[in-house]
Amino acid sequence: MSTKTKVLLGFGIYLASAIALLLIFGSDGKNDHFKPQNEFKLEEWVPIHLGPLDLSINKAVLYLFLASALTIAAMTWIARRMAEKPNRVQTAVELAYDLTRNNITGGNMDAKQAARWFPFLGALFFFIWFSNMIGFLPLPVNTEHTVSIFGLELPALAIYAATANISIPLILTLVVWFSYHVEGIRAKGFVPYFKGWLPPGLEEMNPIGRGAIFTIEVISHFVRLISLSVRLFANILAGHLLLLFMGGGLAVLLGIAALGALTFPLAFAFFIFEVGLVATLQAFIFSTLTAIYLGGATAAEH
Amino acid sequence: MDLTALPIAEVTDEGVKGAGKAIALGVGAGLGSIGAGIGVGFIFGKEIESVARQPEMKSELESIRWLGFALTEAVAFYTFIFGLIAFFLS
Repeated sequence: MSTKTKVLLGFGIYLASAIALLLIFGSDGKNDHFKPQNEFKLEEWVPIHLGPLDLSINKAVLYLFLASALTIAAMTWIARRMAEKPNRVQTAVELAYDLTRNNITGGNMDAKQAARWFPFLGALFFFIWFSNMIGFLPLPVNTEHTVSIFGLELPALAIYAATANISIPLILTLVVWFSYHVEGIRAKGFVPYFKGWLPPGLEEMNPIGRGAIFTIEVISHFVRLISLSVRLFANILAGHLLLLFMGGGLAVLLGIAALGALTFPLAFAFFIFEVGLVATLQAFIFSTLTAIYLGGATAAEH
Repeated sequence: MDLTALPIAEVTDEGVKGAGKAIALGVGAGLGSIGAGIGVGFIFGKEIESVARQPEMKSELESIRWLGFALTEAVAFYTFIFGLIAFFLS
């Protein structure tokens, strides 16, 4: 049997199973009980309320703790048992270290500043990477729906990521945003730093035009707050939503069993895409942009 | 302008409301994907062109390529997120 026949046969079975399911089960009509947004609902596990402040321990906080613990544990563990002949794990971590040190930090700022900011950028990269990656491991965190195993009520397996909640990317972005402004003011002084926002070559322009350009620059600095946080948040949230819908959510929502057979193989494809590319790429982008902003704030001229 | 004077704010029919939300999500996510798709294609096309002209630049172009890819790709998600907000939260 040639490869072409095999591919055609596989595709035929795929389509035929979907059509057969459609003929056997048909459509149950729209399902109103299943709410996809509840997969991202945060249930309070340990309620802590300080006046208007809500510091309750919930799913997102657990993932945050997990990611920080993993980052610290993995890095110290590797650093403790550094060997002359590196094994596979050490080689991988050394590659990642090299990426954060030479590519992300070293490529975007001068040597002195890079030495100062490398710990922050490296930690940022690894923290976001771990928090994206554990977001794709099914963990028993769904307390809304429980599974009964030998009479014991256990929370159902679910996937969730701390970065799929806008608060965590937003707080990381705020830290980055304030630190690059402080770094710029410290390097250049208060007034020269804000003057440095104007692109060079505008010295002969009239004050109104320069004011207009300065306003645009101010807006662009505020847009960075939105773009940096929403990029990470939306990528991870969209990935999780895709996995949810492709892995059966769409079939349940619309009540058509045949749709499940059609979308389920796509869930595997998206899972590989998310784990293999998006999780790492978003961590890389976030730390690279941070390095670019930090480098740009202190550079002599843009 | 007073927003309540517009007919859009006066819709009380649940069916029409649901249809409007579905259209917001579909049009938002769909149009956003068109733009980002063109942009991502453009980046990879240009990168292939550059590597074909100067193969020795390949390793340097790699990180710039991923940077450009992620920045462009994110545009699709901005519209998608606003579509989701319109669909679920309004």
